[in-house]
Amino acid sequence: MKAACDHAVDYLYQYIDEELTWSRRIRIRWHLKRCGNCVDAYGFEIKLKARLRECGKDEPSQELFDRIRALIEQEAAGSQEV
Amino acid sequence: MADRANFERDALPYAQQLYSAALRMTRNPADAEDVVQEAFLKAYRGYGTFKEGTNLKAWLYRILTNTYINRYRKEQRRPTEVELGELQDLYLFKRVGEVSGAERSTEETVLESMVDSDIKGALEALPEKFRMPVLLADVEGFSYKEIAEILDVPIGTVMSRLHRGRKALQKKLWSLAEQRGLTGPSQ
Repeated sequence: MKAACDHAVDYLYQYIDEELTWSRRIRIRWHLKRCGNCVDAYGFEIKLKARLRECGKDEPSQELFDRIRALIEQEAAGSQEV
Repeated sequence: MADRANFERDALPYAQQLYSAALRMTRNPADAEDVVQEAFLKAYRGYGTFKEGTNLKAWLYRILTNTYINRYRKEQRRPTEVELGELQDLYLFKRVGEVSGAERSTEETVLESMVDSDIKGALEALPEKFRMPVLLADVEGFSYKEIAEILDVPIGTVMSRLHRGRKALQKKLWSLAEQRGLTGPSQ
């Protein structure tokens, strides 16, 4: 199992990121179904990745949206004058 | 102007996400808003060159990233070329396993003990070169190919920086868990 585990670990991130070719993907999935330790590692990485996803939810001030709209409006008006 | 209406309809909804990404880059709300604002203006000016039907989100992130780099690289004229030391694969999972033995619940405890600000802090602490791929892959969900285009580096570079960045991030999170005494069985 050792060599198969090493192989799975080497490709685990690409597997999680869905960046593997079909044939390699099947190989990793096959191993994960049969190896408790590797599937635990996989589960852990998936949870951590989900937590990172939460880092994308900061809210800017409403003013930012207003400023962007105003800038675009100004820019549009400017380019029409030319 | 039809262009403007399209731009506001299609691009502006990304403002919140772009702001959040900019905040991880600049680590400061005021700077993040400045970068986003400048990026939107550039995007609007360049909107004519954007090909309808291609990836608008990736296009906006590319502009955002370049805006950030142009703005802040100037300030620190020599970007510190930090190299991360070699770290073991599955760094955090293995550390947790070492202290907990067969105790599966420690994994949950460590993950649950981390509040959002811990994760954000660990991400923001990464050197820029590694922070950007992790941010784009794990927070924003871009593919390796998209990240390569956004950062203008080869795909192999994206993969190796992402891999090393993730391990370094895990090392930071592990130090935090250790500081909090969550990892010692005898605590």
